[in-house]
Amino acid sequence: MIRNYFKIAWRNIRSNKLFTALNIAGLAIGLCVCMILFSFVNTELGFDKMYSNSEDIYRVNMETSEEYNFETWATMPNAVGPAIAQDIPQVKLMTRLIKDDFGATASLKIGDKNFTENRLYLADSAIFKMFDFKFLEGNSNDAFSKPKSIVLSQSAKIRLFGNQDAMGQLIIVNNINTLQVSGIYADLPKNSVMDIDMVYNIMDTWMGTNVYWSNASYETYLQLEPNSNVSNLQNQATGLIDKYVDKDNQYFTKFIFQPLTEIHLHSAHVREAYSSKMGSITAIKSLLFLSLLVLLIACINYMNLATANAQKRAKGIGINKVLGANRRQMLSLFYVETGIMVFLSIAIGYAVSFLTLPLFKSITGNELSYQDLLDTPILIGLLIIWILVTLVAGSYPAISMSNISPLILVNKSKKKGSASELIRKGLVVFQFAASIVLIIAVTIILQQMAFIKNRNLGYDPNGIVAVSVKSAETEQQVESLIKGLERLVNVESVSAVQSMPGANESGRSVYKMATDGTGLPIASCRTDGNIVNTLKLKVIAGNELPETIPEGDSIIYSLINEKILNYLDYKTPEDAIGKIIHTELGSMAIITGVVENFNFNSLKESVGGYMYYKSRKAPEGIRTLLVRYNTQDLSKFMSQLQQTFNEALPNTAFDYQFLDRHVAQLYASEEKTASTATLFSVLAIFIACLGLFGLAAFTAEQRTKEIGVRKVLGATVTGITRLLSKDFLKLVLVAFVIAAPVAYLIMRNWLLDFAYRTEISWWVFAFAGIAALCIALITVSFQAIKAAMANPVKSLRTE
Amino acid sequence: MLLELNNIFKWVNQGGKRIFLLSDINLKIDEGEFISIMGPSGSGKSTLLNVIGMLDGFQEGEYNFMGESVHTMKEKNRSKLYKEYIGFVFQAYHLIDELTVYENIETPLLYKDINSSERKALVADMLDRFNIVGKKDLFPSQLSGGQQQLVGVARALITKPKLILADEPTGNLNSKQSEEIMQLFKELNQEGVTIIQATHSETNAAYGSRVLHLLDGRRDFN
Repeated sequence: MIRNYFKIAWRNIRSNKLFTALNIAGLAIGLCVCMILFSFVNTELGFDKMYSNSEDIYRVNMETSEEYNFETWATMPNAVGPAIAQDIPQVKLMTRLIKDDFGATASLKIGDKNFTENRLYLADSAIFKMFDFKFLEGNSNDAFSKPKSIVLSQSAKIRLFGNQDAMGQLIIVNNINTLQVSGIYADLPKNSVMDIDMVYNIMDTWMGTNVYWSNASYETYLQLEPNSNVSNLQNQATGLIDKYVDKDNQYFTKFIFQPLTEIHLHSAHVREAYSSKMGSITAIKSLLFLSLLVLLIACINYMNLATANAQKRAKGIGINKVLGANRRQMLSLFYVETGIMVFLSIAIGYAVSFLTLPLFKSITGNELSYQDLLDTPILIGLLIIWILVTLVAGSYPAISMSNISPLILVNKSKKKGSASELIRKGLVVFQFAASIVLIIAVTIILQQMAFIKNRNLGYDPNGIVAVSVKSAETEQQVESLIKGLERLVNVESVSAVQSMPGANESGRSVYKMATDGTGLPIASCRTDGNIVNTLKLKVIAGNELPETIPEGDSIIYSLINEKILNYLDYKTPEDAIGKIIHTELGSMAIITGVVENFNFNSLKESVGGYMYYKSRKAPEGIRTLLVRYNTQDLSKFMSQLQQTFNEALPNTAFDYQFLDRHVAQLYASEEKTASTATLFSVLAIFIACLGLFGLAAFTAEQRTKEIGVRKVLGATVTGITRLLSKDFLKLVLVAFVIAAPVAYLIMRNWLLDFAYRTEISWWVFAFAGIAALCIALITVSFQAIKAAMANPVKSLRTE
Repeated sequence: MLLELNNIFKWVNQGGKRIFLLSDINLKIDEGEFISIMGPSGSGKSTLLNVIGMLDGFQEGEYNFMGESVHTMKEKNRSKLYKEYIGFVFQAYHLIDELTVYENIETPLLYKDINSSERKALVADMLDRFNIVGKKDLFPSQLSGGQQQLVGVARALITKPKLILADEPTGNLNSKQSEEIMQLFKELNQEGVTIIQATHSETNAAYGSRVLHLLDGRRDFN
């Protein structure tokens, strides 16, 4: 029996070429997308589960006080870890983790070669045990036994040393710190938030030994005894705040133990973490939702095409029923057929997913390897998808068709159309509504991205390159570099600063009164040189910072933005000039000028307080040169720049970043969202069109006789094309009416993430509607014209 | 007696008016009879066959088939009954296009859960008897009309039905093919199969033992 089903189903599939092709194409595309996404989601959900003690490892996060808006931070003072490890016996292992130089790019010197490095960390030696470091050379016990040791990942070793032996070699970090390689470990798992490329002992530096409860820069990881009561321990840890920190200095109020396995996806609210491998559970959820939507649209295609095909199939069902088949047997026949079809689609989709993986990577920016597609959960997932899609896609055709009465054979009873007709129309409306929502969403996302890119930030990030000089050996080197740069023809202006906007400023607070306990958190940035010119800031009161400060002048000249001005309650900007500004910088800080607000952070946030200062005795160093250039030939200019750099700082790696790209980087995840949404909507629309195409073909076939009669009676080709297309276009209109408000609500919500956002204008909806209509029209009219052109004699004869 | 129809009425409502498809049909058929139903187009021949074949229902009257009252039966039992005892032959043959001759003939056996070796034997017998062994692997579209109808009859016979219902079995065939099919029916009838056929043709009707005339859904005794 079952063999017979297969036979019939297979022959049916083969005899109906168009139907099969449309179905398989739609399903295969949908499934291909799903498989890629599922494997992506699978990798994301598997983050950090591979460590032998994953379940017992926690990152300590801390909740800040009102002054910092109760934000949750992943970094905290370096005293927290040792205190918790000492006072709470259930803590088995503890390590602090901090990027070298608080996350700035490091310059490594090996022999006479310079390298830049972004993932150089400092940690306690417990990190090796906690995260299962597999040492290829050296071992975890001795790695930090000698002072000034550093261990490298295998790939870092290859990058720095090639095939040569690295053990015992010296690496000079930032021209101040000489470390000796004491171990090589196998690269850490790709799907772990631990992105440590190389690590040295925190206890070799003041960062490890000089513990304090103020500056929060250190991540802290704990491995607890198995089955510990986490919330209890968390409370104990929080209790340590009162024990060790004065009430006045408590700018954090609570410690939260975040399970290691949740860090990757559930840290959107946690600030200041070092790892570059941050995922987002909302992104995962929306990707899953989108892929299921595409799959559903593909399933609907199948249902639609299958029921549209019912008229053709009805005869066969009737015969089988007369020959003794019952309803259940007919159901199985259809399910077998769907099963085969879905199996073929999965096979094709799976194969194609391997081919399109690089494309997927480039569009969505998600890291995924071929290996991830072969993971066991994915293979099991394939099976589940197969069964599920077969059941969903096969349900409606199987149920509706197995009900067909054998009477179909004898008196051509075709009246059983109305209900299935309605359902079919409903399905098309759903497909198109989903597509239109996607079109609207994509348009608005792209609009918002353009809005952000074109928005006046209050400074001009274009045409500025930031050159790192933090590893300069002497101040003279930096000065000679500046001089050298200023001599270059294409350089307009050079400013030496502590940080480019929104990167490594110092967090300080501005107080209204010197005695105030809380103030306005601001970013402060030391500068030498003419920052107003370089960034093209707009001074609204007072002056730029002085060009030079005479010997013995201990005043801290400062340039504040309007945000700080407003906080300080001055009536006019002019009132503020010459007044003292109370910050942690002391009482010698004077407001020299006020500049317009500028967006140093992402436009998702509103402008914060920002202060540039200049002083002979600045607590912060100069780490970056901002170079404003004006050139047609950027590559030539950059090589001149590098040459100048190498002459001035011969022992330092040339590390630079274009400011506009840095700004663009702030919206990388939105860019990803935009391209992913575009991809999905294109696919959804394409699949919906496949369905519509098939449906139009069947409708045209169904109405062959009517068309023939009309033509005999004198109807024109245009008239008939219009007649056949009209019905489908009506469906698209209905879909639009449903989709528009849904899309409006979704996108209004999405835009709320941005402090600065574009308006949702009516033309977006008009555009989406017209686009859907045109696409549908092109799809349908192809069939309609074909039907209209057919010779009526033929069609009338066949009836 | 094989079956009995008493005062059968069947109608449809069209524009608020009742249109009678069958009215007051009384009929007794014994086993071994060969009945021809004649009448012009629209006289109700097919409808009557469908009612007898239990594919279609009716509004009033009684229908007894082998002592069981069909009109009080549930749908499920009714279809069980016709699957057991009735074979159908259609004007348009209605072979399953996707199946070969062999498979078409085999299909009813599959639905009766007959095991594979027995199926093979039965189908082989049937192919032999109809002289179509050489065509068993062909698909319906590769056969002539007459051959297709031959397969149709073979398929109707494979389950050894008591009654064959044939709706214009030769309507799509030329005169030579017609004659062959009718000859076949005659032989079957002589072997004891009851046959009811609907036909336009006097020649074909003459093969039957009894002719029944229908006009506008009524029996016409003239």
